[in-house]
Amino acid sequence: MSENLITLEHVSKVYRVGEENFSALNDVSLEVSKGAFMSFVGPSGSGKTTLLNLIGGLDRPTTGKVLFKGTDLENMSRDKLAAYRRENIGFIFQTYNLLPVYSVYENVLFPLILNGLKENQVRERVEAMVAKVGLQDQINKKPAQLSGGQCQRVAIARALVKDPLLILADEPTANLDSENSHQILNLMQTLNQEFKAAVIFSTHDEKVTRYIRREVKLEDGRISWDKPRNGTEIET
Amino acid sequence: MISFWFRGMIRDKARFLFPFTVVTIGVALVVCLVGFMEGVFMGMIDMTANLDSGHLRLVNQSFYDEEHLRPLDRSLANQRETRDWLVKHSDPEVDWAPRIRWGAILDVPDEKSETRSQTPVVGMAMDLKSPDSEEIQRLRLKSSLVQGTLPKGSNEMLMGFQLAEVLDVSVGQPITLIGQSFDGGLVADNYQVVGLVRFGITAMDKKMVLIDLASAQSTFYMEDMVTDWLGYFPSGVNFDHYEEVKGSMKVGLANWSPPKDWAKDDSPIILSIRDQQNIGAIMDKFQVIKGFVVGVFTFLMILVLWNAGILSGIHRYGEMGLRLAFGEPHWKLILTLAMEGLWVGILGSLAGSLLGGSFAWYLQEVGLNMGDSFAQSGLMINDIVRARVTVGGFIQGIVPGIFASVAGTLVASMAIFKRSEANLFRELEAG
Repeated sequence: MSENLITLEHVSKVYRVGEENFSALNDVSLEVSKGAFMSFVGPSGSGKTTLLNLIGGLDRPTTGKVLFKGTDLENMSRDKLAAYRRENIGFIFQTYNLLPVYSVYENVLFPLILNGLKENQVRERVEAMVAKVGLQDQINKKPAQLSGGQCQRVAIARALVKDPLLILADEPTANLDSENSHQILNLMQTLNQEFKAAVIFSTHDEKVTRYIRREVKLEDGRISWDKPRNGTEIET
Repeated sequence: MISFWFRGMIRDKARFLFPFTVVTIGVALVVCLVGFMEGVFMGMIDMTANLDSGHLRLVNQSFYDEEHLRPLDRSLANQRETRDWLVKHSDPEVDWAPRIRWGAILDVPDEKSETRSQTPVVGMAMDLKSPDSEEIQRLRLKSSLVQGTLPKGSNEMLMGFQLAEVLDVSVGQPITLIGQSFDGGLVADNYQVVGLVRFGITAMDKKMVLIDLASAQSTFYMEDMVTDWLGYFPSGVNFDHYEEVKGSMKVGLANWSPPKDWAKDDSPIILSIRDQQNIGAIMDKFQVIKGFVVGVFTFLMILVLWNAGILSGIHRYGEMGLRLAFGEPHWKLILTLAMEGLWVGILGSLAGSLLGGSFAWYLQEVGLNMGDSFAQSGLMINDIVRARVTVGGFIQGIVPGIFASVAGTLVASMAIFKRSEANLFRELEAG
């Protein structure tokens, strides 16, 4: 049995919207094992992003607990939560969010710099990571010179380079065409197996479903199903 | 880490070029303006000191009280003892120069020795003939001569060139001085104009006459007497030091046994340049104005850089969000922004100093001829005003330049403190 990386115990999140309370999550309990490759699916407003926020330490639950390897995130200060993200979490976004003035190499280097590592200590590691996502020929290019698919590859390399335990990917294929989406998902699946980092997608994209090994469906802030998938679309 | 952000800063024109340009222009303006103000003001102070007040001045109280009347009977006797006392009780760096301030009617005769023209003049007598006298150099008389020579014999006179034009006097012209002697009698003595001088100060070029000290003592029956002792520090000595030396001399003066030939009611006082002609108040006002100018420029720079920081914050909204999401603490993010502000401030200040300093240096070397503007002013100020490039001028430009850059960045960064991580996913997805 896999060891749990993330545990959510009866988590609720209520936002104040004007005079009204809006319940984004309602008594959600969930476990995410190490090396998981799973997705949160559901319509807009179902609570996917709120769930990613809580798991990523970007927000705190109104009630319930979010545990990372048994440690309650609630007890962490703002700086400790920042350190938790810096050391353990990689992020991938729909719009890539690459730094436009930096090259591919520098964008991948960026999280390591945030972790206090010196560039000359990690140069080879960064170059190897860029090679893993197939962009060694583009390593000195700026994001504006890359296609959408290439940008997302850079974002994947950036998320993985610090060897995180968990990657949160919010709609990573939403801005890509079908072919690029498959390439990206294939790449992520391969890297998940190689790096053993758990990956959680938040997505509407049907294509993602074919790659993941577990799917959690959210509706109105509650889990409506949580079922395994075969994740057979891997190409090696 | 610093080099990583520095690289990004240099590449990103929006976050570097505009604030850099603002700091550069601001610092250049401050350095140049302060240099120019210092130059004009200090030029005026130096000129006043050299011609009239000295940095320190020993004078009889009763002479000082009625100075405009030139009461020669209130002069100080015993030059040698007085000089010895001054040298002993002041700073060793001070050079003491005896002077006589006199006033007389200047009578210009024609070829039949009848009066052709007359005018009242104010005159100064100083040591123009001793080989160790600094006076000629102090007043730059050699370079100021437009015609003739410096006095070599007795009863020779230097005259302001504009006064000579008014009186239609040329070199070699005999002149009669008609005035009052030390003991109140009428004196008339003949002089010869040996040189015409352009002091560069309209007020003096129109009214001033210089004669040698020994000649004045002979003309006004003032053997071994002078009206003033002027003390000069070397250039670069701070005004505060003048006051320190003056303070210690005042203590010495209280215990001084006056020389034997002094009158019983002689009461010498020691003054600094600040005490004379309202210069102290003018200096204080100048410092306030200078501080105000630097303050206004600094405030404007902060204002512009604050706005630049806000624009940069909008431009880099995604980057800031990403850095927060990736786990950079708020304080560290702001610290790196402050470091960027510091770098922009340092680079902009260096560039601004170079630019402003170059222009100030040009104004120092070449100057700006404002003689026409000063013609009617009577100010003791050189017609060619010059800037003065000083270390202080650079400091007054560089420090506010760096401060404004960091402060502007920090004020603009306050929004980052308020930014909530809970919205980062949505904000970053919005692109």
